[in-house]
Amino acid sequence: MSHPPFRRLATLAIIVFAIAACTTQRETYVVLPDATGQAGSLQVVSKQGQVLVLDGAYANAQASVGRAPRPAALSQAEIERAFAEALSARPDAPLRFTLYFREGSDELTPESMKALQGVLDAVRKRPAPDVIVVGHTDRVGLLLDNDRLALRRAERIRADLLGAGLPEETVQAAGRGEREPLVATADEQPEPRNRRVEILVR
Amino acid sequence: MNHRRVLLASLLGGAVFFGLLSRVDAQATAWVGQIKVSRGIVLLDRDGQRYPAPVGVRLKEGDTILTEANGSVGLMFNDNSTLAMGPNGEVVLERYAYDSTTYMGAFDAYVKRGAVSIEAGNLGRQAPEAVRVKTPLAEIRGQTRSFGVEVEGR
Repeated sequence: MSHPPFRRLATLAIIVFAIAACTTQRETYVVLPDATGQAGSLQVVSKQGQVLVLDGAYANAQASVGRAPRPAALSQAEIERAFAEALSARPDAPLRFTLYFREGSDELTPESMKALQGVLDAVRKRPAPDVIVVGHTDRVGLLLDNDRLALRRAERIRADLLGAGLPEETVQAAGRGEREPLVATADEQPEPRNRRVEILVR
Repeated sequence: MNHRRVLLASLLGGAVFFGLLSRVDAQATAWVGQIKVSRGIVLLDRDGQRYPAPVGVRLKEGDTILTEANGSVGLMFNDNSTLAMGPNGEVVLERYAYDSTTYMGAFDAYVKRGAVSIEAGNLGRQAPEAVRVKTPLAEIRGQTRSFGVEVEGR
């Protein structure tokens, strides 16, 4: 009879295939330090709902088919090798410029008018530039009014940038209102350093 | 203060104008990000069509980015989050919602294969759980700004 050997061979083939699938289908999760060298924690949740927490730079875990994520001991060098191409393809961090306004208006201070030129120079140096203008206010006035004023300041600077020749679709305006002061103040206190736009050249 | 009341009135008067503006804006911000780095062969799959994806291409929710054996790619999103991917990779931008005033929203990416590094931007700063990466075997949430996920053998 030729059946049993054939069946045995088929079983063997399935086992080999399954082992191959298990060893090649693998996932790795790793905490990376950010640009300032700081690292937090990472939560890895398996399909079955098990939660694994990785804490600190280069903490890592691995999972494969039928094997839930568990802590692994990859070295920093191994991690840097595995992610080398991805890490080298990270976009450059945005360049930040801050311009200041006269109180309650969308008119720039004279010094900040000049600083706008620096933004245009930075734009020219990026391969695929896009610009985000974020308007901020101090805490004088109502939150919602400040949202509008912040957006109006950003729109005003956006218009200046378009006037200087930047294509319309490459410049976005956003208003952050009084949510993100440079200098913390009491409500209703005028603070020139908080009446600003931040321009991100990306 | 008097000039503040005048300003308030002019702002209220401008409300209609802003309504129009925000509608135009809503159209403009259908773009969620842009390809800032593209090396080797990189493709964009949008609505079932594949396109080459050089530097400068703008991204929409639902887009899939693929790299071939010689490819790598770096994406930057509206909230300054970045996603970079090495060779033989495939990632789906499943969901991207971002409010540029409050920094609230959600970013879900599905890494089907390849090595991917994520740097969370304003969304993660506002709420760490807003940035999520899914893989065939797990879901990853970062309380850290920067993390990596690699899916091998698919």
